[in-house]
Amino acid sequence: MGDLIETFHIDFRLLVAQAINFAIVFAVLYFFALKPLMKIMQERTGKIEKSLDDARAIDEKLAQTREEYNVVMANAKKEAAEILEKAKQAAEEKKKETVAKAKEEIGSIINQEKAKMQHEKAQTLKEIKKEAADLVVASLHKILGEGVDAKKDKELIKKLLVK
Amino acid sequence: MTAQTQQANIENAHEEIIHENTMFAEPISYIGKFPITNSLLNSWIVVFIILVISLVIRMNIRMIPGKVQSVLEMAVEGLLEIFDSVTGSRKKSLKFFPFVFTFFIFILLSNWMGMLPGVGSIGQVVAEHGEKVFIPYFRGGTADLNTTLALAIIGVVASHILGTVSLGIWRHFNKFINIQTLVEIPRKIVKEPTILIVNPIKFFVGLLEIIGELAKVASLSFRLFGNIFAGEVLLASMSAILAFGLPIPFMFLEVIVGLIQAMIFMMLVLTYLTMSSTAEEH
Repeated sequence: MGDLIETFHIDFRLLVAQAINFAIVFAVLYFFALKPLMKIMQERTGKIEKSLDDARAIDEKLAQTREEYNVVMANAKKEAAEILEKAKQAAEEKKKETVAKAKEEIGSIINQEKAKMQHEKAQTLKEIKKEAADLVVASLHKILGEGVDAKKDKELIKKLLVK
Repeated sequence: MTAQTQQANIENAHEEIIHENTMFAEPISYIGKFPITNSLLNSWIVVFIILVISLVIRMNIRMIPGKVQSVLEMAVEGLLEIFDSVTGSRKKSLKFFPFVFTFFIFILLSNWMGMLPGVGSIGQVVAEHGEKVFIPYFRGGTADLNTTLALAIIGVVASHILGTVSLGIWRHFNKFINIQTLVEIPRKIVKEPTILIVNPIKFFVGLLEIIGELAKVASLSFRLFGNIFAGEVLLASMSAILAFGLPIPFMFLEVIVGLIQAMIFMMLVLTYLTMSSTAEEH
């Protein structure tokens, strides 16, 4: 052991000095270079992982949205078609109804007009009859003379009517 | 001067100044009684360089990385992946990373600093034992056993601290002085009598572990020191043969050796940390 120390000049103070050197190097390297470097590397790794996750999430969301959109669009199309169909049917019905109503109305108007005409005809006939009777009375007056009293008149009329 | 005879001596015939590659770092000056060796000086420069680089990194870290930061992050990421294969979990790798990486950077820069022009060649001439001896101002930090020994001790001690923290002081202590197994003998002896033989062996193995820990320190420190020192001697020898061109391939070799040794040291410390943070398996 003594030989060893003699040959290589092992000096405890130098050992300590070199150990201190190492400690300084370690501290400097750790705090100034490695720690920040590792930290930033880890941060970057974290960021990249997060970005990738985010991208994946966005993709998923996009796909989901697209699917939803497709579903919604399909539904909307179906509904639109239904509405159109309904509207068509409604229009058709309305048309039929209107035509029927019109026909009915026309019929009723015609009937009314017919009834009116009949009524008028009857009236006219009545008036004509009355006028004719008056005329007959007047002409009879003229023919029989004016001196016909009410009694005679009645008798005459009766006779005429009976004949 | 037994050391002198072991070294490759390069003598300058005209001025009779002795250039030698000593096994130890020579003191350049003293602060009080504290010797400032050329290796210590070099280590301080390494510390300073790391300080500057760290501050530059600190100020230039951005969420969106530039080119330099990207390369750094790639390096960190690559190292973490290698660490994962040793520790088995990213969480542990992240926990050990700063500590182990400090070894790597400190050793790597120290190793490479030893090869810079001027390191080992600029110095002062000192009269020693009546001879003029050339003492370089700078010497690779890891070419001094004091440095490598300090690093090895830090690594191994750290692994023990981690062991006591993560396993508890009793369980960690029993890895080495296995009182637990001795206590178990009377309790279990009725059920399995073989325990009478097995557990003393376990106890003895625990004692061997203590020697193992010392061996760890020795192997870590001497491996690094040996490689780097040998590299410096090799380069000096090659330069002595022919200073122009000849050392270049060896320089490349030493660059790689420096890197590999730093890697080895780092991985070994990491292994020790991992081993001591996991429970002993039987």
